[in-house]
Amino acid sequence: MNKPIEVDIADLDLGTPLRLSDSTVTVLIDGTPIAVPAGTSVMRAASLAGTQIPKLCATDSLDAFGSCRMCLVEIEGRKGTPASCTTPCEDGMSVKTQTPRLDKLRKGVMELYISDHPLDCLTCSANGDCELQDTAGAVGLRSVRYSPAGANHLDAGTDSSNPYFSFDASKCIVCSRCVRACSEVQGTFALTIAGRGFDSKVSPSEENAFLDSECVSCGACVQACPTATLQETRVIDLGVPTRKVKTTCAYCGVGCSFVAELRGDELVRMVPDKQGGANEGHSCVKGRFAWGYATHADRITQPMIRDSIDSEWRPVEWSEAIAFAADRFRAIQKQYGIDALGGITSSRCTNEEVYVVQKMVRAALGTNNVDTCARVCHSPTGYGLKQTFGTSAGTQDFASVQKSDVIMVIGANPTDAHPVFGSRMKRRLRQGAKLLVIDPRSIDLVRSPHVKATEHLQLQPGTNVAVLNALAHVIATEGWVDEAFVAERCDTASFAAWRRFIELPENSPESLAEVTGVSAETLRSAAAIYAQAGNSAIYYGLGVTEHSQGSTMVMAMANLAMATGNIGRDGVGVNPLRGQNNVQGACDMGSFPHEFSGYRHVSDDAARELFSALWGVGLRKDPGLRIPNMLDAAVSGQFRGIYIQGEDIAQSDPNSQHVEAALKAMDCVVVQDLFLNETSKYAHVFLPGTSFLEKDGTFTNAERRINRVRPVVPPASGLSEWQVTCALSAAMGYPMDYASASEIMDEIAALTPTFKGVSFELLDALGSVQWPCNEQAPEGTPIMHAQRFVRGQGQFVTTPYVPTDERSTRKFPLLLTTGRILSQYNVGAQTRRTANSVWHAEDILEIHESDAELRGVAQGDWVEVSSRAGSTRMRAHISDDIPAGVVYTTFHHPVSGTNVITTDNSDWATNCPEYKVTAVQIRPSASAAAPA
Amino acid sequence: MMLDYTQQHLVKMVNQIASNVPLREDVAGQIVDHVTRFWTPTMCADLTQIGRDQPEILAAEVHAALALLETSTAGA
Repeated sequence: MNKPIEVDIADLDLGTPLRLSDSTVTVLIDGTPIAVPAGTSVMRAASLAGTQIPKLCATDSLDAFGSCRMCLVEIEGRKGTPASCTTPCEDGMSVKTQTPRLDKLRKGVMELYISDHPLDCLTCSANGDCELQDTAGAVGLRSVRYSPAGANHLDAGTDSSNPYFSFDASKCIVCSRCVRACSEVQGTFALTIAGRGFDSKVSPSEENAFLDSECVSCGACVQACPTATLQETRVIDLGVPTRKVKTTCAYCGVGCSFVAELRGDELVRMVPDKQGGANEGHSCVKGRFAWGYATHADRITQPMIRDSIDSEWRPVEWSEAIAFAADRFRAIQKQYGIDALGGITSSRCTNEEVYVVQKMVRAALGTNNVDTCARVCHSPTGYGLKQTFGTSAGTQDFASVQKSDVIMVIGANPTDAHPVFGSRMKRRLRQGAKLLVIDPRSIDLVRSPHVKATEHLQLQPGTNVAVLNALAHVIATEGWVDEAFVAERCDTASFAAWRRFIELPENSPESLAEVTGVSAETLRSAAAIYAQAGNSAIYYGLGVTEHSQGSTMVMAMANLAMATGNIGRDGVGVNPLRGQNNVQGACDMGSFPHEFSGYRHVSDDAARELFSALWGVGLRKDPGLRIPNMLDAAVSGQFRGIYIQGEDIAQSDPNSQHVEAALKAMDCVVVQDLFLNETSKYAHVFLPGTSFLEKDGTFTNAERRINRVRPVVPPASGLSEWQVTCALSAAMGYPMDYASASEIMDEIAALTPTFKGVSFELLDALGSVQWPCNEQAPEGTPIMHAQRFVRGQGQFVTTPYVPTDERSTRKFPLLLTTGRILSQYNVGAQTRRTANSVWHAEDILEIHESDAELRGVAQGDWVEVSSRAGSTRMRAHISDDIPAGVVYTTFHHPVSGTNVITTDNSDWATNCPEYKVTAVQIRPSASAAAPA
Repeated sequence: MMLDYTQQHLVKMVNQIASNVPLREDVAGQIVDHVTRFWTPTMCADLTQIGRDQPEILAAEVHAALALLETSTAGA
């Protein structure tokens, strides 16, 4: 017997999905033995054995369908010619994939397909990239006996309504791959097959145009289509790509891997990477399509300076811009002291870019006044998880959710803000996992096709901690604590203190129902569901952190997970869904003013001496200023200059008027970004940044996965961002001589225990790794705290509920909360410069029908939204997604300026702004314009 | 004496810390631990001065914390 063969399967479409099984079966494929997990299809086994069986309706991202009749095989001892995609392997099975009978059958079927397909291969946009064309060749079709004069679909027409892809019905073979991708992979169920028999056709939402349908433009259907039916507009316009570069998306914290496909130096399309650990071949509308901003006409690619913010910008050479900034920075420090300067790192930049900025601030400027935009999103995660578990990171990999029995989503809207993970979550929910949603708003997950929350705890904004305390009270008093886990894994003294606290009557659901707006019955039901499942997992977002008790809430979730033993294995955990692609990395890299990389406090002598020795400079042991404190100090005249890497604080930070006053008060504001933005209105130096397509480095996503970002095209400005930072550092008297981004990562690894094993070489070999990656875990750590917590024993922290100062009043009777929408991203600097604006051209205010009626507001009316911080105007959208007394909007557009109305309330421990609770009043407004 | 925006913010921050630290025992110690880990020396000094100038606007636990802070600074 021949030896089983080994095949590199990375780039093959194996036809049907992987099946996991404890047992294997061995089959003979055309005489070649192959051992596969039980349940594997004959088609997949054949592919693994090196034999590609012709197929059209099968692809390994979708369950077998068995409709195209192209993959027929003969099996010894069986009658007929079964479809190999739907036939599972059995031990000892002998399969023939090529026989005269099979050839004849396949040719006959293919002939029928081609008889109703345009014969325009040479001019077709998919020429050279078409499975129908390839398969026709593979089966040896040479002629078609049927006349095209008969009934056909050749004039079926094209739907070009979607800005990114078109649907040419004349080329559709009704294989249903698009329909199945929409349901199985994306979970939207926007597509169906309408009609029967010859009239069957792909139909978006009951025969709508794609743009008008429920389609979310994730691209899964385009990816799945085996013909030119669903085709990217860019491919139609430019042609089939000729080279590929693997890289990582620049949008949310899912951090999807993509293959950038180019013709020469022109990017044609971004295709989700099947091997990507975070996304496994799936994508969303932003990552897949909304990257055109990188070449938008608004891009600034030449450095600019100006003496004052009232002057015109003057384009200059790099050397002049760097010298200008350095001169001003030196002058400020001479006059106002070392600590009159600081810097902000960006979660949209690579680990390497972030690392050099914080290094420049600490080593060249000599201050710890460095902070990061995570201050305004997940700084409470850093605080809360460090206190309880010992490190600031989500506990799981994304794949873990497939093992969850209960999924608790708190203050997050995964289908909009983390859509690829949202799809993964929905898949698990369709398989039967229970869903608990804690959110004032009825997010999509609460009720969407084939997904329904078991409980929706529609709480009052600002009462998260009260809700978690009530859940924990039930768990503790009902005897649902995992006593064995707590005894073995947790600090028992802190647990005892927590238990005494949480069992107090004031924490009971009955006591807190009125405060939270959630009935005691619902709270008790949710607690039972969470505590009594095999595996319960918590996923949370900014609806947790952006509160006055954001850090307390993070610790409350950690308490809940530890008390029920839901930590340290697949399917459980506490998982922050990070807002931007490199929030985790920016925090890991030492961007906070009190920490070096790896979350070591600057007062830790051993850590400081380590950095000091390698950097060759003395370092301060006192914490620096956080962003809000920098802004305060600027208004007071003590803080005079700042280096802002890729963050538009004038739009993204709360109380815009205060931010602008602070920026205006500074003598030198240096902005490093792609576009002139709200912040650059107050800048003296503009240093052009690089888009993700021009970067070389790494991003670390929400599951601690370190992914390579590879340059797809050269930097439009001529320099990488880390080179610019190094140039400024050198001009300030502290040269940083790196030859490449890889060398920067080597230094990070040398100084950061959790990154000790990380290198570009390792990442290129493995694709990605999840930190900690070191001697104990040379290929990374998908699940944290498996045997012990990073801090040793898990620490329970008591979490008294303290109501926010921001309460509804007679003057401001409604509570405003904010969030994101699928098609836009944060302040919109990227997505507003793409066709995504077709879905969301402006921020709108969602208001409950009763609140609208009370104020005489009709659907689509302009309204004035005012708070004690300021006022703005936007259109009203009357919606039952939010309860009466609460209004909701997004913050993607500078015109509406949502943060004009958010206040300077913040988390008690980290100063993360309380974006999620602002008391407001709504009044009808004649127009978008402010009254004169 | 009128407090400027920065001073008002410091007061708000420290009073908020006093209300939110996890344990109701040794609140002053927890405040000191927090501000020494996360605040700059200048912020701590400014707060101390506010405590002297306008003690009435700080929570009682903050006064105890400032006393502790002064002791630890003097001992450093």
